[in-house]
Amino acid sequence: MRKPVSPSGESRAVGRTPRILGGLCVAAGAAAFAASLAGDRPERAWQALLINFLLFSSIAQGGVLLAAVASTVRARWAVPVSGLAQAFAGFFPISFLCFFALALGGKSVFPWLGEDLHGKEVWLNLPFLLTRDGLGFLLLYGIGWAFLLQDLKLRMTTGEGGSALRRWVSRRLPRGPEDIERIGRRRRLCGGLYCAAYALVLSLIGFDLVMSLDPHWYSTLFGGYHFVKAFYLGLGGVIVLAVLIRERAKREVPLSCFHDLGKLFFAFCLLWADFFYVHLMVIWYGNIPEEAYYIIRRTLTPPWNAVAWTVFLSAFALPFLVLINRRVKSMPRFMLALCILVLAGLWLEHLLLVGPALHPEAVELPVGALDGLVFAGFLGLMVLAVSAMLRIFPELLPGIRPAGP
Amino acid sequence: MSELTFARIDETVHATLTPPRRGYWGIVLLLFCGVLLGAGCWVYQIAVGIGVGGQNIPVAWGTYLINFVFWVGIAHSGTLISAILHLLRAGWRNPIARAAETMTVFAVCCAGLFPFIHLGRLWQVYYMLPYPNQRQLWPNFLSPLMFDVIAISTYLTVSALFWYTGLVPDLAAVRDRATGMRQKVYRVLSLGWSGAHDQWLHYSRGYLLFAALATPLVISVHSVVSWDFALGVVPGWHTTIFAPYFVAGAIHSGLAMVLTLMIPLRRIFRYEAIITVAVLENVAKTMVLTGLLVGLAYGTEYFIAWYSGNPVEWESFRWRATGEYAYGLYFMVVGNVLLPLLFLAPAVRRSLPALFSLSLVVNFGMWWERFVIIIGGVAHDFAPHAWGLYAPTIVEYGIMVGSFSLFFLLFVLFCKHLPSVSMTEMKETLAHGR
Amino acid sequence: MAAEVRVLGLFPDDGKAARAIRDLASAGFTFRRAHSPIPSARLREAVGGRKSPVGWFTLAGGLFGFGFGFALAIFTAVQWNLIVSGKPVVALIPFFVVGFECTILFSVIGNVVGLLVCTRLPDFRGLETYDPRCSADRFGVLASCPAGREGELLEFFRKKGAEVRLWP
Repeated sequence: MRKPVSPSGESRAVGRTPRILGGLCVAAGAAAFAASLAGDRPERAWQALLINFLLFSSIAQGGVLLAAVASTVRARWAVPVSGLAQAFAGFFPISFLCFFALALGGKSVFPWLGEDLHGKEVWLNLPFLLTRDGLGFLLLYGIGWAFLLQDLKLRMTTGEGGSALRRWVSRRLPRGPEDIERIGRRRRLCGGLYCAAYALVLSLIGFDLVMSLDPHWYSTLFGGYHFVKAFYLGLGGVIVLAVLIRERAKREVPLSCFHDLGKLFFAFCLLWADFFYVHLMVIWYGNIPEEAYYIIRRTLTPPWNAVAWTVFLSAFALPFLVLINRRVKSMPRFMLALCILVLAGLWLEHLLLVGPALHPEAVELPVGALDGLVFAGFLGLMVLAVSAMLRIFPELLPGIRPAGP
Repeated sequence: MSELTFARIDETVHATLTPPRRGYWGIVLLLFCGVLLGAGCWVYQIAVGIGVGGQNIPVAWGTYLINFVFWVGIAHSGTLISAILHLLRAGWRNPIARAAETMTVFAVCCAGLFPFIHLGRLWQVYYMLPYPNQRQLWPNFLSPLMFDVIAISTYLTVSALFWYTGLVPDLAAVRDRATGMRQKVYRVLSLGWSGAHDQWLHYSRGYLLFAALATPLVISVHSVVSWDFALGVVPGWHTTIFAPYFVAGAIHSGLAMVLTLMIPLRRIFRYEAIITVAVLENVAKTMVLTGLLVGLAYGTEYFIAWYSGNPVEWESFRWRATGEYAYGLYFMVVGNVLLPLLFLAPAVRRSLPALFSLSLVVNFGMWWERFVIIIGGVAHDFAPHAWGLYAPTIVEYGIMVGSFSLFFLLFVLFCKHLPSVSMTEMKETLAHGR
Repeated sequence: MAAEVRVLGLFPDDGKAARAIRDLASAGFTFRRAHSPIPSARLREAVGGRKSPVGWFTLAGGLFGFGFGFALAIFTAVQWNLIVSGKPVVALIPFFVVGFECTILFSVIGNVVGLLVCTRLPDFRGLETYDPRCSADRFGVLASCPAGREGELLEFFRKKGAEVRLWP
């Protein structure tokens, strides 16, 4: 039934190119970040770090969520790509370290430090924030990895030729049908817990790392907005990865699966826009100055209004109009272009949320070559993490079904 | 489901349409009396004036609005089951889709009555229609109440059309077995459907489009309902999470009502082979999800009320948990979030008595959630000297009894006269499973 | 022109019905219609699928509704140019709700009109050559042949495993 797969035999599936390109990108990003820190505008380096940390962590968290949801609701259509989705868990350790790196940014990342917060200090202080969010990430990423390991136990048949991690997993492979069933149950449990942790932790991150940049502004939906957006991003990431694997590694991902992914991507495009509109509508209508300034600054005043329109067009209007069409969803290359457009749009959306808070006096956009390079660096990290996962565990590639029902 | 066949499905469903026994008419009569009671109370209110209700200053919105939101919420899961789960190709929804859709249509009918009741002078309802009055004034679509008019009427139209479209092939199947007068009636109702290949071609496409359109609609309708509150600047009302929170709560309560209706239905009509326990289990599992979402919203509201540092906001939430209506808050937290977690235990969600009683608990809890929000917001807003309390009057209770009677009366009439399980979709499930 | 005889073959499953449809033409008979209790992909393939145009009606309805909703809200607002609670007279953000609901409403109306037009319902003539079992568990294939060849056609259906009915 299951063909044994060993990493050595599969070395062609994920070749050397991603490693080289990824490494170059990381080097460039790190150099740019360091140069900027040493230069006269270190706050711009921290801004770039925060935005890319949020964006790429969201892609990884949302990508794994797809696999977790699919396992919880037993969605058979997602089986070909669920391994790919879980490969994004490789980025979790990087994201975890980056989060603590943010703490070094001080006032450039947490502009409320040293301000009079009128009693909010209880919540908004660096030690407590680092502890609770660190624990949150630990919980989310721990469950994500537990889910991945249970899944690998059902996918792997051999542990030879791999790294220590691979051998560790291979010593715990199921020995009989009862074992398979038990691991399957545990996998579903981890998947369900991941979904719950995802909603809780990403809400918290949305409140703590994005909303609190304007410490006096608040919105109850902000957490929900953040995790819906992260799933939208994650789906985009999975589609991009699936297309690349299909094109480069010649692994068959059925077109029907692309179609279903595309539908889900479309649905979350709408849901993300809905959550945005729900914010806009309530705040616009209430028209309370302490609430409305957040949106006015980001959508009406230059230089941000141009960004707002670009985000609207690239992350909602265009994908919406294109994805109404049924056929484009099963055209992988087309979806690749569209997803890249959306991911770029959502990068700008992060800038739109973060930028005005960090640069209240900005007259021109605080964006430059540095941001591009740091973005490339994070992209490189993501490529390295995902390709390492796929190299160590080729069972995650499409074409292998987990054992069990 | 291995023992199911096309013929067996037909037999089971057609058996529900045989002439009813006397007990059935007894129930119909009882429910009809309930409707009469409600109608009587309404007539009394029209004759005497809206003051017979308990609404006052500051609590101008009472049970009429609570019941309005409650019934719109009940309606939502019907669309979730028939449209969203259809798009997600969740086959387990097929046995209950018809009854849930019917529930949607009737619940929207009940909901739609309440704005009229609340209006007092209901003959002036045309003020809300896009039609100029004698001074050439048109209604202004800037008001959330005008959004309601357009959203609820759209929802009623769409869900009724969706329901009827789904019924047509089944009506044809009933026609083919009926005799005499009944056959003539079903012949007209089924529009001459013959199941010809080109009819099916268009029908499948149209049905899919229906589902695709109903999905955003259902989300928008309860968002609009939530904005009746969230767009006002009242503490406890003006909050961005309301729209998704109301949608999740609506589906939660609707799923509970699905269980409340399905469990007796499957027993009375011997649907055990079609509406299996596994189906009910899936409903229960979905309720765990919606319950957790609602719980997340409750928690977030409290957290942000504290985090905001806004004393008015925080006082409103403090009072919710400790004030005169604190029991309402505990009903809703325990009933909507904590008790449905029992469904995580397979033994609970496989036991029909447990499913049925928990579904009643959730219905109860969701009613109290609306009470806490609608009454609690205005009863305790900015100015302490304007705080006040509210209690429903006997007339309001009468109308409430009337609305529940109307809902169940319509449903009881439905399930004896129209196929309450979609034979077509059950056969499709069977054919595809094969 | 010779009178036509119509014969309905009732098959126990859609696979057999589909095979019969494929072989009808080569046996020299005319395929008229297939009746089935459920939508069947096999029958659709055998008949030779074309795409249903219902979606175009839906799209037209939706586009009309989107314009109509916004137009209605703007028209009613400008009838009385009065600023209410500091909001602009033509306020596109809330008018989107009206636009959206009307989009859905008219899409659905377009969809229903499309369904009625495409399926040509209500129409009771299709029931003249129809068997009630087609809504239960039989897949019917209606074919016609010139009068006099009905024996061959009956035999053709029986060989394919069908019960038959004949309308002279």
